[in-house]
Amino acid sequence: MKKKKGLSVLTPYLYIAPISLILLTFVAGSLIIAICFSFTKYNIITPAQFNGLYNYQKLFRDSKLQLCIINTLKITIISVPAQILCSTLFAVLIASRRKTFLGKLAKAAIFIPVLSSSAVVGTVWKAILNGGNPVVKAIFGIFGINPTMLLGSSKAAIVTLALLMVWKGMGYYMIIALSSLMSISDSYYEAARVDGANTWDLLTKITLPLLKPTIIMNTFLATISSMQVFDLIYTMTGGGPSMSTTTLVMYAYQLTFKSAKSGYAMAVSNVLMLIILIIVLFQQRFIRRDVSEL
Amino acid sequence: MKKISKFIVDIFLIFVILLCTLPFLYMILMSLKSTVNAYDISLNFSDMSFAHYRKIFSDPTFIRYFFNSVFVAVCGVILTLFTSCTAGYAFAKLKFKGSDKIFFLLLLTMLVPSEVILVPLYLLVRGFGWVNTFRALILPLPTAFGVFVMRNAIMAVPTELVESAQIDGATNGKILRTVILPLVKSSMLTVAIFTFIGAWNNFTWPLIITTDDAYRTLPIALTAMKTQYDTDVGLTMACAAVTFLPPFIFYLFMQSKFEEGMALSGLKG
Repeated sequence: MKKKKGLSVLTPYLYIAPISLILLTFVAGSLIIAICFSFTKYNIITPAQFNGLYNYQKLFRDSKLQLCIINTLKITIISVPAQILCSTLFAVLIASRRKTFLGKLAKAAIFIPVLSSSAVVGTVWKAILNGGNPVVKAIFGIFGINPTMLLGSSKAAIVTLALLMVWKGMGYYMIIALSSLMSISDSYYEAARVDGANTWDLLTKITLPLLKPTIIMNTFLATISSMQVFDLIYTMTGGGPSMSTTTLVMYAYQLTFKSAKSGYAMAVSNVLMLIILIIVLFQQRFIRRDVSEL
Repeated sequence: MKKISKFIVDIFLIFVILLCTLPFLYMILMSLKSTVNAYDISLNFSDMSFAHYRKIFSDPTFIRYFFNSVFVAVCGVILTLFTSCTAGYAFAKLKFKGSDKIFFLLLLTMLVPSEVILVPLYLLVRGFGWVNTFRALILPLPTAFGVFVMRNAIMAVPTELVESAQIDGATNGKILRTVILPLVKSSMLTVAIFTFIGAWNNFTWPLIITTDDAYRTLPIALTAMKTQYDTDVGLTMACAAVTFLPPFIFYLFMQSKFEEGMALSGLKG
């Protein structure tokens, strides 16, 4: 009897053991590896050698790294505001048409890029942009753009990638904004209309202020995901032309798999990890304060 | 005035519908063109054919990729459902020392940027000697998100149900299987769909942890095919369509589940 009691105390731990073991091994394990190996010289093949702060000192002398930081910032600065603007705009428009066929269709359509693999998105857009198709050429021609240059020139490629990230991601933030829009009580709008408010007043005085916490959260989510984008870049440009689309994650990947400099790669990705963790901590405090204000 | 603004909104919506669907229509259309010259713009439905699909599905390497994708995604779903239902039950209904702290620690792992830790994760899994194994593809799939969803769902199940089953002498395992799980099927479906799509679309992890065709999945095949069939756009587009369709079909039938899960994943922080 006593033995059975002892076992039942352990039961809850048995139930949480599988997921704890998986997360402990893979997430905590990776973090430990990332920190430990960043202090070593490691080329994957021969054993790692401790070399102190050398990798971190090297960060400051690496001109390629500076380029990658600038590229990462460029992608973030272009894609995040566009993503938030588009997702909020379409959420408001779709909410106003949510009972019509067109509204439902738009809600469904904007989500299709979100649920398709980056490999599919990359392959299809690459095929569209490589310029062979006369119809595609004609459509881009209206705006005076040569579609092959969008990925081919080092100046345009990063902008094209950032816009494709907007295209792929805006549906996700739109759904989050839409679900928060749906929770706004109709009584606010009715009361405002009785007081003679027009559509613009309703939008700027009721909808947007109440949507503010969601917009802030979406901004953080979009920032974090655009700073670590990898798969879309890998399939679209592979980091080129001439490193113009190599971001920090891409650089860490290349250092490990192309140049066999894993130790240094860890130092690079730890810097990015630290930046993202600071943003996340900031987000946690920011959102909590904003929610408590309401 | 009202008519004009309504018209402008309609135009905007039509624009976004076209913008989000045309590239995929292009993909389907190109995959069905039988002519070698896929850039032939004539929309002649008589020369539409499934020739490209027949060709890729008669290629043993492609079938292997397809099987790998299905296998990894299905195993990932089973593993995730198992780990998140058991842990969700423990956190929601069983009282044990440190449960709040452990739950908080598990949630903390969701803050770790997933793409950034892939290279260290590669070094770790490589250290286990798991390069080119299904273990390496499947075991890292479960996340704390599933535990979070299942815990919230199971918390909503009345505790009286659990207690009366305990009085009847049912074990925890039996309570979970016969009392709890039938009541939280909807949340299990959400977790299952998200895990399936995540695993199916996963690109970076299979790319770095596999080098052997026997373990590679469809998204990787797609980037490899692109170079293999460089000139044949139709064939590449058929591969892309096969990779695209399973998540899309899920979405067509379970749109509300997707939206529910998305809203939840946004709120998790």
